[in-house]
Amino acid sequence: MADFTLKEIKTLEYVRPEIEKGYTDHSLHIDISSADIRINPVDKMVKEKFIGGKGYDLWFMWNAVTGKTRWNDPENAICIASGPLGGTPGYPGGGKSIVTTISPLTGIPIDSNVGGYFGPYIKFAGFDVLELTGKSDKELVVLIDGIDSKIKIYEVSGLTDDSYELSMKLTDYFDKDKPVNISVVSTGSAAKHTELGCLNFTWFDAKRKRVRYKQAGRGGIGTVFAHKNIKAVVARWGTVSMKINNPADLEAMKTVTKLHAGEINTLDPKQNRMALVGTTHLVPIMNDHDCLPVNNFKYGQHPESHNIGEAVYEHIFDKGFDGCWRGCAVACAHGVKDFVPFTGPYKGQKVFVDGPEYETVAGCGSNLGIFDPFFILEMNFYCDTYGLDTISIGTGIAFVMECFEMGLITKEHTGGMDLSFGNRLNSLELLHQMARGEGFGVTVGKGIRKMKAIFARDFGADAAIMQDIGMESKGLEFSEYMTKESLAQQGGYGMALKGPQHDEAWLIFLDMVHNFMPTFENKAEALHWFPMFRTWFGLCGLCKLPWNDIVPEDNRQNPEPAKVMKHVGWYADFFSSITGRKVSPDDLIPMSEAVYNFQRLFNLKMGYGTREHDTLPYRSVGPVTVDEYLSRTERYDKDLTDNYKVDIAGMQTADKVAILRKHRESRYEQLKDAVYKRRGWTENGIPTVETVNRLGIDFPDVMELLKAHGVE
Amino acid sequence: MITVDEKKMEWHQGMTIKEVLDKMENVKFCAAVRLNGKLVSSPSFETTLIPDNAVIYLLPLIAGG
Repeated sequence: MADFTLKEIKTLEYVRPEIEKGYTDHSLHIDISSADIRINPVDKMVKEKFIGGKGYDLWFMWNAVTGKTRWNDPENAICIASGPLGGTPGYPGGGKSIVTTISPLTGIPIDSNVGGYFGPYIKFAGFDVLELTGKSDKELVVLIDGIDSKIKIYEVSGLTDDSYELSMKLTDYFDKDKPVNISVVSTGSAAKHTELGCLNFTWFDAKRKRVRYKQAGRGGIGTVFAHKNIKAVVARWGTVSMKINNPADLEAMKTVTKLHAGEINTLDPKQNRMALVGTTHLVPIMNDHDCLPVNNFKYGQHPESHNIGEAVYEHIFDKGFDGCWRGCAVACAHGVKDFVPFTGPYKGQKVFVDGPEYETVAGCGSNLGIFDPFFILEMNFYCDTYGLDTISIGTGIAFVMECFEMGLITKEHTGGMDLSFGNRLNSLELLHQMARGEGFGVTVGKGIRKMKAIFARDFGADAAIMQDIGMESKGLEFSEYMTKESLAQQGGYGMALKGPQHDEAWLIFLDMVHNFMPTFENKAEALHWFPMFRTWFGLCGLCKLPWNDIVPEDNRQNPEPAKVMKHVGWYADFFSSITGRKVSPDDLIPMSEAVYNFQRLFNLKMGYGTREHDTLPYRSVGPVTVDEYLSRTERYDKDLTDNYKVDIAGMQTADKVAILRKHRESRYEQLKDAVYKRRGWTENGIPTVETVNRLGIDFPDVMELLKAHGVE
Repeated sequence: MITVDEKKMEWHQGMTIKEVLDKMENVKFCAAVRLNGKLVSSPSFETTLIPDNAVIYLLPLIAGG
C-alpha cells in the first residue's frame, strides 16, 4: 500500500506515433497550469535544421519564451529530448537525454546531457521531444505511458521530496512487476530553496534491484522544475530491441554498433579502464599536470590527492555492470553500496551512492581542500538526494571558503560556522541547510554571482577581489579544471554558450601540455571544430565519452589524433544507418553549426550573447594573489620574460602580478577576436547575416533580432 | 623484456618511461601511461624506472570529462 496519494486529474489516450528512421516526428506539450496536453507533428524544416535532441529543445523553447521571460515565469519551458540515434541498445553511450530551460543562474538557455532511460523511453512512447510549461498550484506527477498509450496528470500528496525514495516509490507504483519499464525524472528538497537544483534521471538496475540515477546537473534546471510544482515525470516503456528505432539500414547499424562496442570492450581495460573506475582516473592525471583545482582554483595540485583518485575508488565502487543505458560498453556510472553517512537525515543508515565522477571528486573534494574519499561520497549522496548540482555546489562553497579565509565574510555572516578550507562538517551542514531552506546555506544556494552582490551589499566585502576569485562566467559556476596555463581552455570556458562547462570544449592538454595550437588562429580553429562536434552528440542523443576516451590503437598515427577520425567516421555511418540520410564525417560539423549559432542568438534574444558576456574571472587566467604567483614563480617569471619581453630584474612580486595580468587579459581579448572571426561572428560576438544565411537559420524573428542589434 | 602496447621490447637496468617513448613513433600526445596497471603522468616519465617484465599501455590523449 502506497503511503502517498495520486489523484488523476487528466488523462489523454493517444495513438502512439511509430518510430521511423529514428524519429517519431511528434512532440508532446504539457501545460502544467491548465493540465492541457497536446501532441503535435514536428515540422519537416525543424527536423532538417535542428536534427533532434538539443536542437529540438532549443527550437521549442525559442517559440515558448520572449526576450523578457525569466526563469520563474510560467512560459519558461523545460524541454527534454533524446535524438534520432538515442535509444539504440548496445551502441556505446547510445541512450542520452538532453534537457534545456532558461536558467535561474544565467538568464539564458542551459543545456544538460544526462543518462538514464527517460529520453529513449519517451521517444519509444511516441515523442521526439517533451515540452513542459506553466506552473501548478498543487504538486503534480506526470505519467507518459507508452505501453498503454496514455498520458496522465496526477495531483500528489504525501510523497517524499527525497529523490531516491521518491523515484523508488513511483517506480514501484507504476510497474511493480517490471520496474525496468520505468524511468523517473525528479529533483529534491533543496531545489525549492536554491537556484542550483538538478534533475535526477533514473533507470532500474535489475541486478542490484534498485533505482539508479544520473543528473542533469547544470544551471538550476531542477529549480525550475520545483518552481513549476512538478514532483516527477515518469516514462513507461517495455521491450527494447535493435529494431526499436526502425533504422533505415538495420544491418549497417548492427555492423557499426558491433565495431564500436567491440573496440571499447577490447581497449578500455588497457586504456582508461572506465568500466572499472569511471572518470576517477582523471584525478591523478590532472593533479600531476597541475590542473586539479585546489582551494578555489588557487592551486593545481596537492600531495594528498592520491587519496581521492582511481586507486582508492576502484576498491570502493560496487562491482558489476554500470551502464546508464542498455548494453553500453563504457559502463562508467559506478556507485558505492552500503555507505553510511555521518550527518543529516540518513546518518547511521546504509545507503547507495551513485558516483562520484571526476567533477564531484574535484569540486566537492580538492577544491574545498578536502582529500577524504568518504566525505566526497557523502557530499555526492546528499547533493543527489536533495537535488543539487555537485559542480556548482563545489565551486560555490570553494568561493565561500576563500572569502572566509580572506576575512571578506566572518562567522557573523555564516551563522557561526567556520567555513575555512578543509571543514568537512560545515560543508555538509550547508547542504542540509539548503534542503531545509534555512541559514547561510540558502545564501550559498543562490550561486556565486548573487553571493558576490550580497556579500558586497550586506557585508561590505570587497567587490573587486570577489570578481577575481568568484569562479563564474555568465552566472554559471566553473566546472573543475584549472585553466591558468591554457589560453585555449580559457576560451573553451569563456566562450561556451551556456557558461563555463567542459562539455563544449576541453583543450587543456592539446594546448598546455602538447603545445599543439601555438597561434591564435590554431586555437580559434580548435574552438570552432571541437565545440561543433561535441554539440553533435547532444543533437543525436549520444554520450561523448566513447568518441575520445577509448581510442583505436593506431589513432596516434593520425596527424590530428584529438579528433579520433576513425570514430567520427563510425558516427557518420551510425547516423546514416538509422536516419537514411547519407552523411560523411565532413557533414557532421555543419549540422551542429546551425544549432550552435541558433543558441548564441537565443542568448542574444534573452539580453546576453555579446562580447561583454564572454568574460572570465581573473583566477581562471592567471595568479590573482602574490601567494599564487609565488607558488609557481619560475613559470610566471618565464612567461613575463620570454613571452612578453618584460625586464623583471628587481621587480616586486605584486608588480609582476599586475603586469602579467595586463598581458594575459589582453591575450584573452585577442583570442576572442580570432574565435569570433572563425565562427563567422561580428567583433561583438554576434553571428553575422552571412553566417545565419549560410546556415539556413535566417528566420524572420532572427533577422529582426540581428537588426535590433545593428547587425544587417 | 617488457611489453609496450602488447609489443615486446628489450629491457635494461635503469630504463625509464621517457626512454621507451623516445624509441617509439607518434607518441608526442602521450601524457600518461599505465605501468603494471598504475598511472604514471608525463612529469614523471623521466624519473620513473621500469622493472623487468613490466607491462605498459599508453593512454589516449587526455580528453577531459
